[in-house]
Amino acid sequence: MNNSLWTVMSFTMRNKLRSKGFIIMTVVLALLLVVVGNLPYLIEKLSGGSGGATKVGYAEGQQTQVVEGLKSHYAKLPEPGVELVGIASEEQLKSALENGDIKGYLTFQEDAVAGFPKVTYNSKSAFEGGTSSSLTAALQQVKYDTVLDGAGLTDAQKAQLHAPVSFQTQKVSFTNEEGKTEEEQGVAIALTYVMIIMLFMAVMITGQLIATEITAEKSSRVMEIIVTSVSPLKQMWGKILGTFLVAMIQIVILVGALVANLSLPHNSDILKNFGFDLSSIDPLLLISAIFFYLAGFFLYATLFAAIGSIVSRTEDLGQAVMPITMLTLVGFYIAIFGLNQPDSTLMVVCQYIPFFSPFIMFLRIGVAEPAWWEIALSIGILIASILAIGWLSAKIYRVGVLMYGKRPSMKEIVKAMKAYKV
Amino acid sequence: MNPLKVDRIIKNYGDKRAVNGLSFEVAAGEIYGLLGANGAGKTTTMRMILGLILPDEGDIRYLGNSYSEQQLSMLGYLPEERGMYPKIKVSEQIMYLAQLRGMSRKDADKNLKLWLEKFQVPEYYNKKVEELSKGNQQKIQFIAAVIHKPKILILDEAFSGLDPVNVELLKTTVKELRDGGTSIVFSTHRMEHVEELCRNITILHKSNPVLQGPIKEIKKKFPQERVIVTADGKIEGLDKIPGVRQVTLHEHGGYELKVDSPAVGQSILKHVLDQGPVNRFEVLEPTLNEIFIKTVGESHE
Repeated sequence: MNNSLWTVMSFTMRNKLRSKGFIIMTVVLALLLVVVGNLPYLIEKLSGGSGGATKVGYAEGQQTQVVEGLKSHYAKLPEPGVELVGIASEEQLKSALENGDIKGYLTFQEDAVAGFPKVTYNSKSAFEGGTSSSLTAALQQVKYDTVLDGAGLTDAQKAQLHAPVSFQTQKVSFTNEEGKTEEEQGVAIALTYVMIIMLFMAVMITGQLIATEITAEKSSRVMEIIVTSVSPLKQMWGKILGTFLVAMIQIVILVGALVANLSLPHNSDILKNFGFDLSSIDPLLLISAIFFYLAGFFLYATLFAAIGSIVSRTEDLGQAVMPITMLTLVGFYIAIFGLNQPDSTLMVVCQYIPFFSPFIMFLRIGVAEPAWWEIALSIGILIASILAIGWLSAKIYRVGVLMYGKRPSMKEIVKAMKAYKV
Repeated sequence: MNPLKVDRIIKNYGDKRAVNGLSFEVAAGEIYGLLGANGAGKTTTMRMILGLILPDEGDIRYLGNSYSEQQLSMLGYLPEERGMYPKIKVSEQIMYLAQLRGMSRKDADKNLKLWLEKFQVPEYYNKKVEELSKGNQQKIQFIAAVIHKPKILILDEAFSGLDPVNVELLKTTVKELRDGGTSIVFSTHRMEHVEELCRNITILHKSNPVLQGPIKEIKKKFPQERVIVTADGKIEGLDKIPGVRQVTLHEHGGYELKVDSPAVGQSILKHVLDQGPVNRFEVLEPTLNEIFIKTVGESHE
């Protein structure tokens, strides 16, 4: 009779894959991800592609020493981010900015105490992060030089002063021989972040889908025929597995679109410059991503199915799934906040709580180094609770699908379970 | 051995008893009427037969076997609340439901085409259910209940909401199924359908089976106490005859009298003949409708 499980599954899949909504959503999301996949290239093109330095104006004759210092500083750089343009007078600076001849201009104000003028960078937008930080660094250098000129230091000593402190963090790993470098760590964090978002979305979307389908079957009263043809348990699992496979197909398409585009040469080169190499992703991370996706999916899917079964009308569904939505949201946000402190007590505790562990344990594997027994314990608890919740959900489902009218309370469900002897 | 045997089943919902000690048997090729007011326990009984809920006591046998998943494929069910997938093609969902009942896709397809042909709606094969009228949806639903040739068919309010032509069509089909050897449990509020189709009935009242047996026998238990008389002219003094309890003048001529015993009929006939020629005189056996109302209605508060 496993045939009927397969029948329910294939029926669910066929209808989902054929529905216009599903096709449109997949195509739109895939297109979106194609754009995202090409984002590194596009950003490079749009920002770096403008061909060099930001033009910054100054009024000729003002603070010549500082301006000369800046000029010589930028002249020494292989790729100067700023080009200084002299404008005849201070009044003309503003009009030059307005005309677009320059991106911004500098004004100076004497500061006797500091021994160096106060500099203001005036531009159309207050968020000129790149330019202003470049200018700050340059001005700092100029100030050093100005001050040091009188101190009689040798050039070698000056160079020593200017050289930045070399500082790196390295995560100590106890399982691998090598710890992760900062760059690898960054990649792991980014990847974990992306995967947690995807996990969250996949669980929410597929879960909602399952609940909606079941409620729709119930409200259209097809349910009565279906539960008399096939055991409710098989129907529930057929539905869950069918939706799961559809979700998998969708994910494969979407991730495929993203990865394919990211690994195009023009994108992957840029990513490598950032120290981001797709092939350097830890396979363990991918395996745990898949495992925790499956675990999270089945944990929440059975819950969503149970909720879907006790609601008679689609309109009431949103309210009914609220508690589960909250639960996933809490897990999601703990994970997001925990990205920076993967070893905090909250995270260590939450990695064992089944509703959160798909997010948290995955995150800890990604960015921290949990001991093997922690992982094993967490997975053990997770699997045990999936079985327990699956069993409970099946029971609720069994009675829920036949209860019409107002949404039954917990007490009524328990009463019905006793009456139906399930 | 009878295909369906229900033996003293009892079902409690909490402290409320929904079905109290109901027993009946349905032979092959028989339509069994399950009657009762709303909330009398009919749906619970049907759900127990369908195996959706288990009886607390007593048992139900299908061709001598107790309930198991294997029995599902020989059960057919037309629920009272109709419903199909609105956005899915007729062929698609009927085949799905047939497959769930253990049919192969090919057989299901063949049977579906035969049935659509029979109901003279072959063009619905590729239509979505939401595009069909309510009556036609009901036909499709009926097909869904019988496509896998069930041995036991449960029809809950099979003809409700249909126009007279379609009622006739479905009634004929149900009779054909009966003649083909299907055991049918039939529940309805339309007593004339029960009288036409059912051999045996049970009337449930507040969870208890209050009246059970072949319709003929049941009717014999109830006295003939209705007389119809029609004459050309007006008939005077009918209410004065001893034993007449009530006289009703019908809209299109003729009188209907409630009497204490069938014997009173003779004195009525004599009385009427004294006044002139009689067109029609009949002592009627009680209709099932009356029996039902008498059994169930009189004890109503």
